[in-house]
Amino acid sequence: MEDEFLNKKIDDVMQSMDGITRATPRPFLFTRLEARMQNEKNIWSKLSSFAARPVVAFACICFVLIVNAMVILMSGSSRNTITQQGPELATADEYSQVSYNLYDFENAKP
Amino acid sequence: MDLIELLKKKDRAAFKSVVETWQDMVYNTAIGILQNAEDAEDVTQETFMQAFESVASFKGESKFSTWLYRITVSKAMDHIRKKKRKKRFAFIQSLYGKNDQPVIDPPDFFHPGVSMENKENAAVLFKAMERLPPNQKTAFVLNKVEGLSYIEIGEVMKITDSAVDALLHRAKANLKKILKDYYIAINRN
Repeated sequence: MEDEFLNKKIDDVMQSMDGITRATPRPFLFTRLEARMQNEKNIWSKLSSFAARPVVAFACICFVLIVNAMVILMSGSSRNTITQQGPELATADEYSQVSYNLYDFENAKP
Repeated sequence: MDLIELLKKKDRAAFKSVVETWQDMVYNTAIGILQNAEDAEDVTQETFMQAFESVASFKGESKFSTWLYRITVSKAMDHIRKKKRKKRFAFIQSLYGKNDQPVIDPPDFFHPGVSMENKENAAVLFKAMERLPPNQKTAFVLNKVEGLSYIEIGEVMKITDSAVDALLHRAKANLKKILKDYYIAINRN
């Protein structure tokens, strides 16, 4: 009995949209639409819509990846240089062969 | 000259005519999916703006109304995704005490086109529709709220008639299950 009532209720709910009529927007939609389009014509919205394009986003990601790859490659090659110069630099650091003082700069030859 | 050809030339009168001809169709579809009058107005405006800007890409392979339906559905789905993101963000902020406003679920939606005696039942059905997967919800709205045939729904969603049939069958079965659980829970309380 209860199941019957439940099924009847569900059927009523499922059929509640029968004969539905269209909802209509508030009057003067076109006027509001024109005003919105006018507002969105400014430079900032153009810029943001340009930046939001998939092509631009993809180009930005590629650019970041390329820069990252370049940095990694360059740091790799400079690490090799450091490794080669390692003993000299270590000696220079330990025995302070390099002196940076004002006198040296003032006497530097052109 | 054809209305669409004039629209491609960015003719203002043609655009006005297009908006006035199809505004009810677009708005009704949007309100069926979004279940909120303000959001539906927003999506209606976005749909016509998109149509105006990208009318050059309309090749006439389908009906103009079908093309407009596609834009409407896509904009409405984007709107739902954006709203969910905002809701999630507001919820996280509220957890960290950064947002004092509580996360409130919208009240029951009453479609203005439903007859008075069906208003309560339709509100329950709309609430249940929110729990359907996006494709099932879209097909159900196009069929029940807009009254489109299976062929027309297939054209809008770019699927076959049999796929529409299967989608609607699953949508109805899911809705019945959601409603059954809902009424059983009500009876228990």
